[in-house]
Amino acid sequence: MSYRISISPIRREAGRFIGRVRHALLVALAEESKKRGLTQAEIARKIGVNRSVINKELRGEKDITLGRVAELAAALGRKPVFELREPQISAKDRFVKITTDSTNRAVPLPKSSGATTHNSSRVA
Amino acid sequence: MATLLELILKGELVRLSPELDADRVESRWFYLTPRLKDLFDNKLPGMGSTWRIEQSPIEQVDFLLSHFAEGEPLAYSTMFRHLRHHSGFVWELKTADVRIFGWFAKKDHFVGHSLEHKQTLVDVPGLVTGYASEVVRYVESLDLDEPKFIAGDDPSHVVSNFYIADPS
Repeated sequence: MSYRISISPIRREAGRFIGRVRHALLVALAEESKKRGLTQAEIARKIGVNRSVINKELRGEKDITLGRVAELAAALGRKPVFELREPQISAKDRFVKITTDSTNRAVPLPKSSGATTHNSSRVA
Repeated sequence: MATLLELILKGELVRLSPELDADRVESRWFYLTPRLKDLFDNKLPGMGSTWRIEQSPIEQVDFLLSHFAEGEPLAYSTMFRHLRHHSGFVWELKTADVRIFGWFAKKDHFVGHSLEHKQTLVDVPGLVTGYASEVVRYVESLDLDEPKFIAGDDPSHVVSNFYIADPS
């Protein structure tokens, strides 16, 4: 028996996107802190805000604007990359039903069936 | 005595289906006791954010548990953390607004038993200890094979991937 959190697909995507962006910033901060001793105070000074603002944004206690994501990335010496990918087909959906026509020949599947797509729009 | 799988088959635990993207592989597992399942169904959806942020508490939990299931590194530090050791074998999974109390039955296998709004825990002294005690009592009563939990406060013993970020 398994359990699914009851949340709309649209809000699931939104919540996970926000979480992933914040996580990427935190990991970069951890790496830069370890590598060159970068502090939140230094980042805040570069951006021109109070350290507590940065702290709340990274802790998830304050929303982060797209502009702030870019500012934080720049202060961390990183470049943000945003990409819109078509979703990949899940493994279970790759198992398509094989059918036959009246002559018992295999019927070709529509082009879209089971095709994994990699099209994307990317802004770097 | 029973394994985690046998407890699931008996309906005493429920495994979370984290609804990961097709290119992600589940490498950590989250289980719910009947009490937590009830709280996920009836309490979590109605919770609001103290911080008035876009991500609602249920969306915060959905992200955290998908992140957990994907095996992504978990923050474990004073300033930023997804994971916190409470006492004994009790651990908390944390979001900005929500705390989930439970234990690691095995490395990368977390069983959640209760949840509470962070602000409620701040407002009511002793409540955190009460939730932790509840977890301990539940584990003691659970018909799970020994060892029922991973003891201690070392994050490397309970999860396979974590990082420490405490820049001042």
